[in-house]
Amino acid sequence: MNSNDRRLPAGGRIDRMRPIGFSFDGRTLNGYQGDTLASALLANGITLTGRSFKYHRPRGTFSAGPEEPNALVTLGTGGRREPNLPATALELAQGMIAESQNRWPSLGFDLQSINGLFAPFLSAGFYYKTFMGPTRRAWMFYEHFIRRAAGLGRAGTERDPDRYEVRHAFADVAIAGGGPAGLSAARAAAYAGADVALIEQDFLLGGQLLSERSDGEAAAWLKAIETELAGLPNVTVWRRTMAFGIYDGNTLALIERNDDPVVQGVARQVFTMLRARAVVFAAGAIERPLVFSNNDRPGVMLASAARTYFNRFAVLPGKNILVATTNDGAYRAAIDLAAAGAQVTIADQRSTLPAGLAAEARRLNIAIRSGTQIADLRGGHAVKAAKLAGPGGNSEIACDLVCVSGGWSPTVHLTSHLGVKPVYRDDMNGFVPGGLPAGHFGAGSMMGRYSTADAIDGGHRAGIEAAAFCGKSAAAPAPARLDLGEAATDAFRAIPSTGRGKAFVDFQMDVTTKDIELAHREGYESVEHLKRYTTLGMGTDQGKTGNFAALSAMAALRQETIPQTGTTTFRPPYAPVAIGALAGRAVGHHFKPIRRTPMHDWHVANGADMLEVGLWMRPYFYRAAGRDVNEAYVAEMRMVRGAAGLMDISTLGKIDVQGPDAAIFLDRVYANGFAKLPVGRARYGVMLRDDGIVFDDGTTTRLSENRFFMTTSTAKAADVLSRLEFLLDTAWPELRVAVTSVSDEWAAMSLAGPKSRDVLAAAFLGLDVSNDALPHMGVAEAEFDGRALRIIRLSYSGERAYEIYVGATAGETVWRHVLEAGATFGLNSYGVEALGALRVEKGHVAGPEIDGRTTLDDLGLGRMAAKRTGFVGDVLRRRPAFQAPNRQRLVGLESAEEGKRLRGGAILFIPGDIVTGHGRGRITSVTFSPELGRYVGLALLAGDVAVEGSEVLATYPMKAETVRARIVSPVFVDPKGERLHG
Amino acid sequence: MAEALASKDFTLSRSDCPIVQIEGWDGMLAQFELSASQMLGTALPVSVGDTARLADTLIVRVSPRRLWLIMEADAETPQPAIDPELGCSVHLGEGRVRFSLSGARVLEILSGCIAVDWRSPGAAPGRAFQTVFHHVPVLVLRTSETGCDMIVPRSFAHSLADWVADSASKRSSPGIKARN
Amino acid sequence: MLRIECPCCGLRDHDEFRYGGDASITRPGHDDPDPEAWYRYVYVRKNPPGPHREFWQHVTGCRQWLVVERDTRNHAIASVGFARKTRA
Repeated sequence: MNSNDRRLPAGGRIDRMRPIGFSFDGRTLNGYQGDTLASALLANGITLTGRSFKYHRPRGTFSAGPEEPNALVTLGTGGRREPNLPATALELAQGMIAESQNRWPSLGFDLQSINGLFAPFLSAGFYYKTFMGPTRRAWMFYEHFIRRAAGLGRAGTERDPDRYEVRHAFADVAIAGGGPAGLSAARAAAYAGADVALIEQDFLLGGQLLSERSDGEAAAWLKAIETELAGLPNVTVWRRTMAFGIYDGNTLALIERNDDPVVQGVARQVFTMLRARAVVFAAGAIERPLVFSNNDRPGVMLASAARTYFNRFAVLPGKNILVATTNDGAYRAAIDLAAAGAQVTIADQRSTLPAGLAAEARRLNIAIRSGTQIADLRGGHAVKAAKLAGPGGNSEIACDLVCVSGGWSPTVHLTSHLGVKPVYRDDMNGFVPGGLPAGHFGAGSMMGRYSTADAIDGGHRAGIEAAAFCGKSAAAPAPARLDLGEAATDAFRAIPSTGRGKAFVDFQMDVTTKDIELAHREGYESVEHLKRYTTLGMGTDQGKTGNFAALSAMAALRQETIPQTGTTTFRPPYAPVAIGALAGRAVGHHFKPIRRTPMHDWHVANGADMLEVGLWMRPYFYRAAGRDVNEAYVAEMRMVRGAAGLMDISTLGKIDVQGPDAAIFLDRVYANGFAKLPVGRARYGVMLRDDGIVFDDGTTTRLSENRFFMTTSTAKAADVLSRLEFLLDTAWPELRVAVTSVSDEWAAMSLAGPKSRDVLAAAFLGLDVSNDALPHMGVAEAEFDGRALRIIRLSYSGERAYEIYVGATAGETVWRHVLEAGATFGLNSYGVEALGALRVEKGHVAGPEIDGRTTLDDLGLGRMAAKRTGFVGDVLRRRPAFQAPNRQRLVGLESAEEGKRLRGGAILFIPGDIVTGHGRGRITSVTFSPELGRYVGLALLAGDVAVEGSEVLATYPMKAETVRARIVSPVFVDPKGERLHG
Repeated sequence: MAEALASKDFTLSRSDCPIVQIEGWDGMLAQFELSASQMLGTALPVSVGDTARLADTLIVRVSPRRLWLIMEADAETPQPAIDPELGCSVHLGEGRVRFSLSGARVLEILSGCIAVDWRSPGAAPGRAFQTVFHHVPVLVLRTSETGCDMIVPRSFAHSLADWVADSASKRSSPGIKARN
Repeated sequence: MLRIECPCCGLRDHDEFRYGGDASITRPGHDDPDPEAWYRYVYVRKNPPGPHREFWQHVTGCRQWLVVERDTRNHAIASVGFARKTRA
C-alpha cells in the first residue's frame, strides 16, 4: 500500500475523509474522493504511466485533462474492459481496476522498447517504404508483425454486461464548457429567462479556475456562482458530460460517464442528443508543449498541469523543478510550486521578462534565466537533468520535474464541426473560431483572450446574446468580478529545437520533428498529406497538444506563414466515444422494433420456427412438418397441393382507398385498369415507377363504387402508401381521394388447396361457397362469433384459395377455428418458405424478380398494360433500351442433371460462352418441386437466347458448381390454371 | 385487454383503442367541418394537435383535413354518415393499442423513447402530437403533468411496451440525477 | 440532426421525415405522351450547391408532403411549406 508520499497534508479539492482503494497494473493503491486516476498515481509517486506507440519509449502523465497524449489506460476487466482512456479524465472510484497499455511484459521492462534501436527504419511512412521487399510476398510477412505491434490498447472481446442509454433533451441555450466564461454565460442567460443547459466534461465545474489555489479569491468566486446557479430553476448543469460534437439543427451530442465499477441498475454511459436554440461555446484553451530533444521523458508535463496537480489535487509532482516557458502563465505554476517548498528554476525563452511576476518569483528564491531554452533532457524512465542553452552558453541542471509551456491553443474543435474553419491570429499566434453562424456565440480563452476577467465579461455578454436569440431578454445583473491579473497574451514564438535526440511533436503517435522534415523532403507538404503521411494528429487525442507545433514546423519548412499552410479539419468526436453508448438500449432484441402478427403467439406455441422478415416475425416452417427447413417446406408444399394449408399473411400492406375519384386514381397508379372493376371483385395489379420499372404488385378489391381495399407486398407497404400520398399531394391535388394505412387493422390468412372450399364451408356455416357465389377473384362477406369477415377468393399458390380477413383482435380466434374445422380434411398451417416455393412452381414473380431493374415486359406481364396509357410509368417503359433483343426476360428453368440442384443467384451462360463475368442472366428464385421431382427455378435470361427447350449452364462460383438446366415455361405446375377455377 | 406494469413512480397499462377517422376533401373543408361538427354535436379542434372532448370520445386533429375520434376501449363505435361529396371515414378500431402511462418518472422515461420538449406548448396537457418512437409512428396524448397516453400500431405494441418497461426498470445514472 | 419545421406539427427531427427529391421540376400531366418530358422529369437534375427546393414527407407525423428550401452546402433551411396548395 502506497502512502501517497507525494500528497500534501492539507489543501486541494480532495476529501481526505474518503479514501479510495484502486489497482494499477496489479498494485493496490490509495487515493481520495476528488482525485482523478492520474492525480492518485502521481500522489503515489508513480511517474511511469505508459509506453509510446511506435518506439515504446517510457512516458509519464503529461497533462491534467482529456488532451492527455501519454497516460492511456485500460479500465475494467472481462466484458467491461475499455481501452485507451486518459487517466487524467477518469474520476477515481472505489475498486477501479486500471492497466497501462502497449507494453510487455511490464511498464518498467517493455521488450518492444527495442524498437527504439530500429528507429531509423520506423520513421514516418515506414510501412510504405522499408518493408516492401525483397519480394512482393515479403510485405505479407512483415505485415503480420507490424499489425500485432500496432495500436495502443486492446479491445474487449466479451459481451458487455453494462447498460447504456440514449436520451433526448431540449434547451434554449446550451453552453459547452463550465469554466469562468461558461459559468458566467449560464448565469446571464438564465437571468435573461432562457432554459439553460451547462455542459462540463469534468466532475467539477470551474475549468481553469481549478488550477488556482483552492482557498483563494478564484475559489470563492467559483463557489459563489455555483451556488447561484444551483438556485436557478431554469438551469440544468451536466457534469461528467463531454459535448463530443455539434451537428445540424444545433444538436449537441453529449456523453455522460459513470466509471464507478460497482454500478447497479444504472447506465454506464448515457448518450444525449441535446437540441438547443442557441449555443455558447466556452471550451477554453489547451497549453502547448515545447519541442526539444527528448521532450517526452516521464517527468515532463505542461506547466498548467503541474499547477493543477498542486492546487486541485494537493500533489507535489517534483522537488527539483525546471519551468521552461515562452509566456507569463507558467510563472504562476512556478510560484505556487515554490511556495510549497520545491526548488524551482525558470528558463524563459524570452529576453525581456515580465517584471511583476519575475519579482514575485525571485522573492520565493526561484532562479530565472532569460533567453534560455532546453536543449536536451537526460534520464530514461524519469527525467534527471536538463541541458540548457542560453546567452551565457550551455549548462546543465538537475531536475525531477520539467514543466513546459509553449503558449496556448484555443479549443476550436467544436466550433469547427459544422464547417466553420478556424482563422489564424498573428497577435496571439494561434487559431480562433472563424465567423460563427447566427445562434452560435463564443466566449473565454477559446476566443483567444487569456484573461479570467475577460472570460467572465465575455461569457456574460454571450449569455445575454444567446438568450436574446431565443427571445428571452429579461435584465441580467452583471457578474461578480474576478481579476487574476493576467496580461494580454503575447505572441512570442517558441524557438525550435536543435538537439540530436528525438524531439517529439505528437507524443501519442510518436511523430518527431525529423518526421516532419522527412515528409517535407518527400513532397508531403500540404497539411492534409503531412497529417496522413506522418499520422500526426491521428491518435485518440486528435493531436490536441501537438497540432500547432507541427503546423508551425511545416510552415517554417515551406517558408510560408501559418495561414498559408492551413489546418486540417476537425470532425466529431472530440474524444473517443464508445459505440455501446451510441446504441443505448437498441441492442439485442431491441435493435429494431419487432412487428408481430395477430397470430404470432399461436405460431410460437405451435412449433413454428420464426424468421425475421424485415421488421416482422413470420413462421419460416413448422417443426411438425420436418426437422429443418429443407425437410419441412417440401412436406408443407405437398400438404397444400394435396389437401389444404393455412398461411398467416397478415403482414401484407393494406390501404383503404376512398373517394369519388378513387377509381380514376387507381387507373392512373396501376399499369392495368381498375376503374371498371365491378363491385365485389378483386384484381391483381402491378404498379410501375415513373421510370417504367415495376414498383410493386398486389391485389385490389372493389368494396363499393367509391371504396377500394388495396393490398401491397409486405416489403413495399410503406413505400406504396407514401407514393400514393405524394401523387395526391403534389401531382393531382384536385382528386378527391383519401388513402389510409389499414395494415394493422386486419388479420389475414390464406386458405389454399384442393380441399380449401370444403374447409371454408365447414368453418363458416351459412356462407355460400359455391363457385357462382364466390368465383375466382370474387369477394364475400361472412361472420364468425359476431365478427365480420371478408373473404376474397384469390390464389398465390396456384391452388384454389381464399384470403380470409378479420379484425386483428379476432385474428387468433378465427385462425384456430379454421384449423379446427379443417383438421378432418388434412388442413394444417404452413410457413413462409413453403409459401415462396409454391409461387415459384406457378411462375408468380415476387421480390427476387421485382428487384427494381425489371419492366412488365421483362416479367412477361406486358399484356396487362397492352391497351392502356396515362398511368404512372407508361411512357418511359416504352423506351428503346427496354425493347433491346438481349434484354433479360423471365424464363423457367429445370435442372437437366439428375439429382443436381439449382441455386438462386447462379449466373447463366449458353454452351460455347466463356464462363466469366456477368453471363447472359441469373437465376432469381429456386425451389425443389415435389410434383416434378426435381429442382426448378425462375430466371432472367437474355431474350435473344431464351429459347424454350434449349439448355443453359448455371454456375455458382461460391460453391464452384456448374449445372446444366433446360429452359421451360415458368409455370411448372398446372399450366392451364385449372385448379384455380370452378 | 389490459396488461399492466406498475412500480411506485411509474405505471403502464394497455387497452384497446377504437378509432374512427374522418377526412374532408381539399376544397370542401369548411362545409365538411360544419357538417361533421353538427353531426357530432360539438366544435371540432381547429389545428393539428388540438383536441376536443365529447363524452367518452376524444376528437384529435391529426392532419390539416383529417380527424380521429378516439373512444374508450369498450365504447360503441359510431358510424358517422359523411356525405361523399364532402369527405369520407374509415374505422381504425382494430389496428391500434393505447398505452396509458402515469407517475412521477413518466416524462423522464419517455425522454429515452421519443424526442419531445415536454415544456413546449405543443406538448402541454390537453394537446396531442404524433412523433416517432424507435422508428414507429405513435400518437401521444398529454393527459396531465405527469401522464400521457400513447397510441401505437398493434403489430408493434408488444415490442414498444417491452422497450418502455425496460426503460422504466432501471434508474438513470446518478450523474444525471445529480445534475444540479 | 436536421430540424425541420412542419407547418402544422412544429419543429421536428429529420428522422420523422422521408426525403422526396427535387421539388423544382414540373411533373408532366398523367397522360402526357412525350418521352422527352418524362425523361427530363425523371432524370435531369440541376443538383445545385446552394438553395434547393425539395420534397419531404412528415411520415411519422401528419403525413403531409412538404416543400423545403434547404441549402445543400450547410443544411440551413430557409422555408418549409405544404406541397399541396390548399383550396380550403
